[in-house]
Amino acid sequence: MPKDKPTLELLRTVGDTFGAHPFSDEDLSELVEPKLGMITSFKDLMDELDQLRTIDLGALPPALEIKTKDSTSDE
Amino acid sequence: MSDVTEVCWLTVRQLSRALVNGEISIHDLVNVFLARAAEFNPASKAFIDVYADSARAHALKLAEQPGSGMLYGIPYGLKDLIDIKDHRTSAGSAVFIDNIASEDAHVVSQLTAAGAVCLGKLNLHEFAYGATGENALYGTAVNAYDSSRLAGGSSSGSAAAVAWGLSSFALGTDTGGSVRSPAALSGLVGLKPTYGRISMRGVTPYSWSLDHLGILSRDVRDCAVILQTLAEPDLADPGSTNRPTDHYLSEVDSLEDLTGRSIGVPRQFFYEHVDPEILSATERVISFLEKKGATVREVETPDLNFSRTVSLTIQMPEALSFHMPWLEQRAGDYGEDFRTGLALGQQILAEHYVRAKRLMTHYRTQIDDVLETVDILITPSTPIVAPKIGAVEVETEGLTEPVGNAMMRFTNFFNTTGHPAISIPSGMHSLGLPMGVQLVGKAFGEASLLAFAHLINSQWQFKLPLPKIN
Repeated sequence: MPKDKPTLELLRTVGDTFGAHPFSDEDLSELVEPKLGMITSFKDLMDELDQLRTIDLGALPPALEIKTKDSTSDE
Repeated sequence: MSDVTEVCWLTVRQLSRALVNGEISIHDLVNVFLARAAEFNPASKAFIDVYADSARAHALKLAEQPGSGMLYGIPYGLKDLIDIKDHRTSAGSAVFIDNIASEDAHVVSQLTAAGAVCLGKLNLHEFAYGATGENALYGTAVNAYDSSRLAGGSSSGSAAAVAWGLSSFALGTDTGGSVRSPAALSGLVGLKPTYGRISMRGVTPYSWSLDHLGILSRDVRDCAVILQTLAEPDLADPGSTNRPTDHYLSEVDSLEDLTGRSIGVPRQFFYEHVDPEILSATERVISFLEKKGATVREVETPDLNFSRTVSLTIQMPEALSFHMPWLEQRAGDYGEDFRTGLALGQQILAEHYVRAKRLMTHYRTQIDDVLETVDILITPSTPIVAPKIGAVEVETEGLTEPVGNAMMRFTNFFNTTGHPAISIPSGMHSLGLPMGVQLVGKAFGEASLLAFAHLINSQWQFKLPLPKIN
């Protein structure tokens, strides 16, 4: 479901309210309108994460130790 | 040796033979590489710190107590995320500029016990964050085949050191392709083993769930030699597996006739928006395997279009969690790009993080299922050749994307699944730049993966010319 584009003010409020470190407006602006070519915008990320919500994972747990079919119980 | 300048291009096994036969001493061998590093480091920007004095002292000590094993007396380099006692681990950042390691990383202890000689610490993208290897503090490691282009990253110095002939092999780390991608762009072999196969103790973390220690070498046999030394379980590392190791070196030559073997080719996603010459090179490798008797089968993988998003959603909260103590004290010392990534980590919901970790399980299970039907998967290592230094975006067959995204597009998925993956050279592009193919094996199936990789890597048709340096 499309979300509104996160604003600088919203990101600042989230960080100030819940975060341990206050990031500068300059850092947060890169999440709103990326210029460095390192990350996609936070809006794009949220949209993609919304799409990932549609995959039915049932009761699948988070990634744990890698097992192989011939693993023994003490591995 | 008749020509000491040749020494810098020899494999670990050839160097070992030269040492055993008395053609060169360990001290002279170390001096050859140190001299070369002094001459070419200003151009390559491979090394951050060169340990000339301690490397020479180590060489003299080894000469007094002759040992055995193929790594005895062999010089190597370390990505500057990996601790070596009493030396700085800067992680490529001003934040860790005064960070002196109190212990050797487990992998360093293993290499030291095998008699390998550390030449120094190698350049990287700050805290292994990016694929380009651009580093404001130490400069950007340069591609040995074209000095206007990137060596690749984040293990940029590791790739540059081996490709420029400044080190016989190097260790790097791979969280999204940071060993395999620079190996492909620099004409080398780059192995990311199964998650947990090599200890990460003493390595500055970037993202615990995705970090793998990796090897950059001149050929696959060397990679097997080094893996044999490093793959020992480490009970002190919670992420290290206690699964027994295989005999990588004896098994690397085990494949010749591929009758009864099968190769999976996931053309969907991995054949889209790729440089046509890279695709042709990949097809030549597949055709070679088919001629050797392998059955080639098209296979389906999960929808990979969001695999980078899954990776990023895990990386940034984990990186933020590790960096919080320094962030509060030295936020201004972080590079702008990494600090922005950490800011992203603060905005991601716990629900998103856990979902991304569950998707790791989902991806891992699906690839396990695919690898029940074939022996290995084969894909291009990267969709592009080495980009120009300073490029922000790249256009490939109709897709414009950030350079870093392109460099990791085909590699980062296998960090989420944890399967072993290796990049080996597939040929030269008409631009005079190396291209690579990626092989992916079953979990803990490094022995078989290396055997397939060696079969390809040992063929003259896939050998690359040495870079023209001088």
